[in-house]
Amino acid sequence: MQSYPATVRPPADAIGTLSIIVGVIALLIFIGVEGALVFAIWRYRASRHLGGEAATFERNRRLEIAWTAAPALILAVIFILTLGTMAEINGAGVPAAMRITATGHQWWWEFSYGGVKTANELHIPVGTPIDLEVSSADVIHSFWVPDLGPKKDMLPGVTNRLRLLAPRAGSYEGQCAEFCGIEHAWMRIRVVAQSQTEFDAWLRTQAEPRTTSDTKAEQILLANICVSCHTIRGTTAAGTAGPDLTHVGGRATLGAGVIPNDVASMRAWLADPQRYKPGALMPSVPLSNTDLDALANYLVSLK
Amino acid sequence: MSETAFIPAERKPPALGVSLGRSPKISQDRNLLGVAIFIASESVFFLAVVLAYVAYRDPGLATAKATLDVGRTAIFSIALFASSGTMAFAVRAESGRWLAATIVLGAIFLAGQGSEYARLLGEGIGPGSALFGTAFFTLTGLHGLHVLVGLVALVALVTANLRRPGAVRAVAWEGVSMYWHFVDAVWVVVFSVIYLGTLL
Amino acid sequence: MTAIPLWVRRPAGERVGWLRTVDHKEIGVLYIGMGVAFFAFGGLEALLIRAQLATPEARLLDPETFNQAFTVHGVTMILLAIVPLLVGFANYLVPLMIGARDVAFPRLNALSFWLSLIGGVVLYFSFLAGGAPDTGWFSYAPLSERAFAPGTGVDYYILGLAVNGAGTIIGAINIAVTILLMRCPGMAISRVPLFVWMTLITSVLILGAYPALTAALVMLFVDRQLGGHFFDPAGGGQAVLWQHLFWFFGHPEVYIMVLPAMGMISEVIPVFSRKPIFGYAFVAGSSVAIAFLSFSVWAHHMFAVGLGDTENAIFSATSMLIAIPTGVKIFNWIATMVGGRLRLTTAMLFAVGFIAMFVIGGLSGVSLAVVPIDLAVTDSYYVVAHLHYVLFGGTMLGIFAGAYYWFPKMSGRLLSEVLGRWHFWTTFVGFNLTFLPQHWLGAVGMPRRVFTYAASTGWGPLNLISTIGAAILAIAMVIFFVNVLRSLRSGEVAGDDPWDAFTLEWSTTSPPPPENFATIPAVTGRRPLWDRKHPESRDGR
Ligand code: HEA
Ligand code: HEA
Ligand code: HEC
Ligand code: CUA
Ligand SMILES: [Cu+2]
Repeated sequence: MQSYPATVRPPADAIGTLSIIVGVIALLIFIGVEGALVFAIWRYRASRHLGGEAATFERNRRLEIAWTAAPALILAVIFILTLGTMAEINGAGVPAAMRITATGHQWWWEFSYGGVKTANELHIPVGTPIDLEVSSADVIHSFWVPDLGPKKDMLPGVTNRLRLLAPRAGSYEGQCAEFCGIEHAWMRIRVVAQSQTEFDAWLRTQAEPRTTSDTKAEQILLANICVSCHTIRGTTAAGTAGPDLTHVGGRATLGAGVIPNDVASMRAWLADPQRYKPGALMPSVPLSNTDLDALANYLVSLK
Repeated sequence: MSETAFIPAERKPPALGVSLGRSPKISQDRNLLGVAIFIASESVFFLAVVLAYVAYRDPGLATAKATLDVGRTAIFSIALFASSGTMAFAVRAESGRWLAATIVLGAIFLAGQGSEYARLLGEGIGPGSALFGTAFFTLTGLHGLHVLVGLVALVALVTANLRRPGAVRAVAWEGVSMYWHFVDAVWVVVFSVIYLGTLL
Repeated sequence: MTAIPLWVRRPAGERVGWLRTVDHKEIGVLYIGMGVAFFAFGGLEALLIRAQLATPEARLLDPETFNQAFTVHGVTMILLAIVPLLVGFANYLVPLMIGARDVAFPRLNALSFWLSLIGGVVLYFSFLAGGAPDTGWFSYAPLSERAFAPGTGVDYYILGLAVNGAGTIIGAINIAVTILLMRCPGMAISRVPLFVWMTLITSVLILGAYPALTAALVMLFVDRQLGGHFFDPAGGGQAVLWQHLFWFFGHPEVYIMVLPAMGMISEVIPVFSRKPIFGYAFVAGSSVAIAFLSFSVWAHHMFAVGLGDTENAIFSATSMLIAIPTGVKIFNWIATMVGGRLRLTTAMLFAVGFIAMFVIGGLSGVSLAVVPIDLAVTDSYYVVAHLHYVLFGGTMLGIFAGAYYWFPKMSGRLLSEVLGRWHFWTTFVGFNLTFLPQHWLGAVGMPRRVFTYAASTGWGPLNLISTIGAAILAIAMVIFFVNVLRSLRSGEVAGDDPWDAFTLEWSTTSPPPPENFATIPAVTGRRPLWDRKHPESRDGR
């Protein structure tokens, strides 16, 4: 299954190893220091004292030098390991097989594969080194999928690079890590890692315009203000303030992870997005019940 | 409670472990030391704003070159620099006249800055217009504010001196003058960075 | 004013109102009072945060309230509780410890306090005036710009912090001049108590750090009120500039918050070990090293920003270096205890608790200085755990140690040791229950500053434990308040020197008279009171 060069470790693994090393060192220091402290309390507490005055020594040059030098040595080791891992998680000179653009919005994600846009769900081929070029459309966000390793801040006006390498197929959960306003908590990410063939098929679908013939529901949508914020390729809807909906039905969740994506949830979301995501930048659009039903079905059918 | 009931604590100031600058007085007089420390922290403040200006220098350089009048501001700057000289004379002689001259020179500088502001605003450049305007008005404005505070201190000193000539304590002269020299020194930096920077 | 002692032993009939006092001791008490009050506010906000997070997808607080709660909690604890508490102790103790009658500028001292307090009041006024700031205690731009924070909350943040900071800066000038110029005869700078040393270093840190914050606040003000573009990427500004300026203040600020507490336990531990401090010169000198280093590590808060590997490596190295002088202190405290005769009073318990807990926070700090680890856990609950281990486990425990130790001096009454023990152990248990689980939460992916989390994440149980811990902490704090109030009313009279202590503040009455000492003492060593009590075995040097 492993299609990446054996010399390249997924960043998460590299960090994991380093964390264990640093963790063990820290644990040993912890035991040493707390042990010394507990010993001092136990051995020298007054109630245990067998007469006599307290000692009065108050200096020991050698000891001072020793406990200055020992931490310095330990830290030097940690620092060298740090440098190595830093290079590794950036890709260790192995070029990326693919570049994807990720843009943070309050409070959803936009992903772009050479112009093919999608939202909130990032699909990548498993085992392939990928450079995610992250940026932001408004405030600072931060792309974080713990099982894929490090995070990277997304700043407006700046493009940062994050190396991704998914070790196994499946879905990875993540979330925006930099506080970005009222709905920061519900700015979740799903990364779907799939085999190269599955991925290619998925990308081909995404590149196509919308694939439905429910023109009646489509007219309802096009007649509403939805079009000022959303794009559905193949129709006149070309807004960019909200997620691209061309294939919204293919995603697992709605509202960047706040509810699952099925007809009932979709209807509820359209009826009152503020109920699920108070403060989200999608208004509640007044729609009749029949329109809601039609729209919900239509949108979910946009696979 | 009466102040004389006990020995004033500062009667015998212990020697400082560290030397705190050129004037021996600073390391003994609490007022002067206070002013010196205050100036040090003010320096950090200005350093931060100057660095912000420098960070945004390049995007604003074209505007700066096109709109700033280096020659005219240089003349007003000379007034401010000269005021450091008059201030030094004023302290040495505890002279109200030299102090008055300092005030006039400081006021000339402020007036010059005012006219520069008026001209820029007239051309549509303000703190909100573009990055250059933001950085320029913030840095020069903060400096101007400090000049204004300095002028107030100078006026207070002149007034006190007029009311009871010779009775104003030497540290008051010293303290105000340290602050005034500082404000001047800041302008050396600000003028170099903003105005001379356009000539590079 | 019958039973409650006066904090200053004034001649009968003489009273100076709290509003007009310029006595350093009364101003110290005012500062401490301010710190306690805001600590209660900050604690209540913390309890709201914990209540909301106890269970997944809870709806106790709406997101806006939650965001205000953690923002104001952070600002309150750091700038309105911890700093005033420490400045208050410094105000009260420094002149007494160096044998002075007052600080260098008593009236300026009053001004500092009132500015600090007004800054806090301004910040809290925002609750009444249309909403508190909700952009986090470091208020990153551009979220804090008008475009994204159109309300007035951030404006109150700017004004409140600027005014509060002005008070703190003036106070630092005052304390620094006092320490440099007002020491009594014989009190060489190499003989001042370590609390005074650390306070001096803290003043230097304040003077170097706070002006950078003021500058940043002014720029943010220009952006918000005059349409400027300093931190506005749309207008060409850079969001990271704010971060550089803020953390240039923010990192020294964390040492501003810990060094005085370290100074406190450096007084407490020797007295209750019946030994002089081990390695005075190293404990003092390491503070100087920490002060220097702390101005060169700020970008360790910005590893994920994308400054570049070289920059990250440099800041990683400087951050790690700080562990060395800090370790020196830890080892010296333990060495002070070795060979001593330890009296485990409540003050000593808290001092030992400081060491035990601070080491955990320090070690997690070092792990955060390791760039790849930081990239994995930054902005997660791991950082929240780290900061509370150093700030609560460190500073707050240190302050409690100081409170039990010096309360008798300030009030003339002892605090109850029985309640003190209860206070210590509930604090210890509650604290670890609250914050230990947060390390795991962060490591498995819980970001900070989220008003809720999906049930599917599985973060519920650990959060619940954390909330229970916070409730226990609240009980601990109530025990402390009860202890203080009880003791003020009917506490055992302390006498001048209840701990058989070493330093000058214990040579005068409890509470001290307005002029502090009947005659200005002259000292010949680092433990002047010990020398006076034991002329035969005075510290020889
Ligand atoms: C009192 C306050 C205090 C103190 C003392 C410290 C101490 C340290 N801190 Fe901490 N820190 C904070 C308060 C503090 N911190 C706060 C409030 C934040 C979060 C701000 C925010 O984002 O809201 C933060 C965040 C923070 C970060 C950024 C995390 C992030 O946001 O991604 C980092 C990264 O490097 C860091 C590192 C350190 C280090 C290396 C120390 C060192 O000084 C620790 C040194 C101490 C020891 C190491 C223990 C004793 C030493 C020994 C026993 C010797 C042997 C040890 C070794 C050889 C390792 N801190
Ligand atoms: C010194 C600083 C300090 C202290 C002491 C504390 C104390 C506490 N903190 Fe704080 N905390 C911060 C500094 C501090 N914190 C900072 C800087 C942040 C980051 C903010 C940000 O992200 O912007 C933070 C963030 C923070 C978070 C993360 C919020 C988030 O990211 O969403 C949490 C969550 O658990 C938390 C919890 C607590 C708890 C439970 C306590 C407890 O220890 C509190 C215990 C105290 C009490 C419980 C009060 C008891 C009082 C009473 C019972 C009232 C009685 C009154 C009278 C009798 C008058 N804090
Ligand atoms: C003012 C802009 C705006 C308008 C008008 C608007 N939306 Fe949205 N929409 C958004 C934004 C912003 C989001 C992302 C919300 C979030 O997750 O925080 C969104 C999210 C959605 C989603 C979820 C997408 C996903 O992948 O999670 C759907 C579906 C949707 N909108 C449909 C509609 C429909 C149908 C209409 C018209 C009835 C509409 N929107 C009107 C801005 C708008
Ligand atoms: Cu986007 Cu937090
Ligand atoms: Cu830091």
